[in-house]
Parts: sequence; structure tokens; C-alpha cells
Amino acid sequence: MSEATGTEMMAKGSRVTDGFDLYFGPVHPGSGNFGVKLTVEGERIVAARSDPGYLHRGFEKLMEYRTPIQNAVLSDRLCILESLNWNLVHAEAVDRLCGTEVPERAQCIRVIMAEFSRIQSHIIWYGVLSKGLGFDTGFKVAFGYRDYVLDLFEFVTGGRVYPAGYICPGGVRRDFPEGTRRRIEDLLVTMEKMTRGFEAYDSNTIAARCRGIGVLALDDALRLGATGPVLRACGLAADVRRDAPYEIYGELDFEVPVREEGDAFARSIIRKREIEESIKIIRQALARLPAETLPPVKPKVAGKIPEGEVYVRNEIARGEAAVYMRSTGEAEPYRCKIRGPDLLHMIPVLEHLLVGAEVADVPAIYWSLNICPADMDR
Amino acid sequence: MIDMPLGVIPQLIKNLFSRPMTVAFPHEAIPIPEGYRGEHAYDVDRCTSCTLCARVCPNRAIEMVEAPEGLREAYPKTYPQIDLGKCCFCGLCQDVCPSGALSLTKGVFLSTNDRSTVLRSPFPADGES
Repeated sequence: MSEATGTEMMAKGSRVTDGFDLYFGPVHPGSGNFGVKLTVEGERIVAARSDPGYLHRGFEKLMEYRTPIQNAVLSDRLCILESLNWNLVHAEAVDRLCGTEVPERAQCIRVIMAEFSRIQSHIIWYGVLSKGLGFDTGFKVAFGYRDYVLDLFEFVTGGRVYPAGYICPGGVRRDFPEGTRRRIEDLLVTMEKMTRGFEAYDSNTIAARCRGIGVLALDDALRLGATGPVLRACGLAADVRRDAPYEIYGELDFEVPVREEGDAFARSIIRKREIEESIKIIRQALARLPAETLPPVKPKVAGKIPEGEVYVRNEIARGEAAVYMRSTGEAEPYRCKIRGPDLLHMIPVLEHLLVGAEVADVPAIYWSLNICPADMDR
Repeated sequence: MIDMPLGVIPQLIKNLFSRPMTVAFPHEAIPIPEGYRGEHAYDVDRCTSCTLCARVCPNRAIEMVEAPEGLREAYPKTYPQIDLGKCCFCGLCQDVCPSGALSLTKGVFLSTNDRSTVLRSPFPADGES
């Protein structure tokens, strides 16, 4: 470890860079309230220490004082980048505790919206990875396309980023407005155009900066608790949607994309294949969407959650998300434990990958993990 | 020599003659769809003072308040005062309202320099009613 901090060394005018502490975040434009302290010797990183906690909002405690419908609104904020997926995990936990039968149309709407949430989260991933690599065109193109998805969210849920618990216990807060089907079909065509457009960027800029960087071996990935695209990029086809299907996923036909390399390029390229699979899923869910209209879910002020405990896991864009909920028969849950995929990606996996890497490769490794400090700190 | 795919050239030429994707805010703004969750519209005369909105609010942004002296005869119960600084615009108050007195509108221009305007009184302003 270093004998003097970087600031002290700079104050002394030292030019020695061995044992220098380099702070990456938490005020970096792309790091999002999360920092990692790197100890470098020249260009080589010898130690990395993640520094979480800047975005802790205490959701687990807040949820113990609120009813399920209020918690559905809170669950938006668990990960700002994919609110609808978190809505779904929470709603499923409450539904299972209460034994609620969700109508098929609501299940289809849930799947469609959750998959769009995954697509726009992957677009953000692409955007911030490009920005981190200094490839501004990719960032702007990605965020431009993301806005098309946000337009749909605004049309359906009434909010662009925060759907306010659109996927709530009992179904969805309101049915698709008239004209949604046509908008979704148009949007899917736009998304297909986008994935084709990304191909040129992926094979040039992204490949040049990411290939062979930050290689994660499969046994290390399993040991450190990686899930989702990070694990799939190491060669293991693990996906909760297929392994333990929820909603209507068990009846849909889709593939789980896998890459063998385990490097930053594999992690970033798997995103494109996942978007393609999500488009396939949305088309199938749209085709089987029942015609009858759904009544809006009326918020319950005085309902009680039956006594019991559940553990529900879902596949969200970043990996495996889960909610453990325990009820003692009150209106509020007694305990709501949230398991986000990013805690393990951003602490053990990131630290493991950074040691031995070059300073210039830090952005490629860091953003290839698809980080979200909001989900990690909760 | 930079290895640039030639496929980008038609795109470059197209971009020279296409309109920007953004609009010149604040002179124009993108249209806001129906069902948007913006500023509240509240009709005190339809309100039954059931307090459901205050109880369902996840951020405790709604407080039931009494009318000021001059209006107490017309409005004898308590009515919801909304703190927009706490509100997360989830729309649960609108969904739970049995009389349709409270609803969310397409109003998005809510930024203010005057802190007192953040608290929305349920009662008509002085001189109106």
C-alpha cells in the first residue's frame, strides 16, 4: 500500500508515481456517485478499493413503513435506469404473498414494459461505455435512441423516467392507452435499425478499446457472484427468465446470448444480442395480448398483507435482482430485503478486474460491467 | 490512413440537410401526451375531505389543513394542502380520490424562485371564492 496519499505527494512536488492513490469517481461525470480508489505504480494498478455509499437512501427501511402500493412507487428509485424492472420484482413479491392472480393481459403488459426497460437500460450502458471511452458519437446516438423508448414510457405510464409504480401489485396501474400497439410496433422497427447501426461502432471503436481487456474467467465470475450479462459474457447461459420463468416468460421463445471470451468486449457486445432477443420477446407478448380491457388498479389504503415470507428473483438488465419480503399480517411489510446485481459487480468483480490493469483501461473495464450505483447503495 | 467505413458518407450528407432533433425551448416545447402526471388540479367544492389522498401519498406530501378564518363557514372540514417540494407526482392521490376532486394535469412548468408557491393551498385565493 502507499506510504503517502496522492495529494500529499503532489504537494511535495514529487514526480514518483509508485504507490500513488488515484481516485476514479465519485464525482466523475460517468461514474454516478460511486468511486474506486486505485493504487498505481506507474501505469499499472496494484490495488483497487471500491468506495460505495454515496447514494444510500435506505429503501429497505422506508419500505417497512409503507403499504405495498406506496412501495411500488418507491421501487422506481431502486435503479433509476430500469425502474420498470424493479417495479416488477417488487410487485411479484407482493402478489405471491397475497396470492393475487394477475390477469393475462396485465402479465403481457408487464413483460412488454419490463423488456422495453431492459432495452433502454442497455442503450444507456452503450452510451456511458462510449462516453467513458471518449467516443462521443456513440454516446449521443445511443441517448438519442433512448428517447424514443422514453416517449413510449411517457405515453403509457405518464412519466419518462419514473413510471411511479406502473407495474404494481395486482397488475398494472392502468391499461395501455389507445394507439399503444401501433407505437410499440413502430418503436421495435426503430430499435432494429439502431442495433444495425451499432454494428459499425462495435466492430471498430469499441473493439479497439475493449478486446482482451479485463478478462473475467468463468470460475472467478461464479466465485465473486457475477450474474446477468457479466456472467453470460464468460460463457455460462444463466438467465432467470429461462431457468425459473416468471410471468409469461415460460411460454415465450427466446435465446440466451452467450460469449466465451469474458473480456470487456464480450460484455459490451452481448448487449446488442440481448436487445435483439428483447425485441423478439416483445413481439411475441404483443401477439398474445388479450383483447379485453383492464380496469385500473385502485390503490388500497387499508389492506393487509397476509402473514408469510417470499423470495422472488427476476432477471433485470444488469443481472439477477431479488426481493425477500416477510409479512406479519400488517399493512406494511415487516422486512423487505433487496438483492441488487450491482453490489457484487461493483465491489468484488470490479476490484478483481482492475488489479493488474493499465490506468487507460479502467474506463473500458468499469463501464463494461454496466454499473448502477443506485441499485448497489439502495 | 483511418479505416473508416464508407457507409457513413450518405449519413453525413443526409445530416447536412435534415432538421435538428431538438426543439428551441422555451420558444417551443415537445407536446405532452394525455395522462401525463404533472401539476395537480384540485376542486375544493367537489372534495369530501375523506383524507384518502393524504393517507395514500408515499412521500407524505399532502397535509389536511383547516380553512382560514374568513372561509371556515364555507369550508368547515379539513382539505388537502399539497407540498410540491415533497411530491413525486406518482398520481396515487388521483387514483384514490373517490369524488374526482384531485387530478394530475399536463402542467410541467413548475420551477419557481418563490418558495411560498411550492405549498399549494386548497382554498381559493383571497377575493375569489
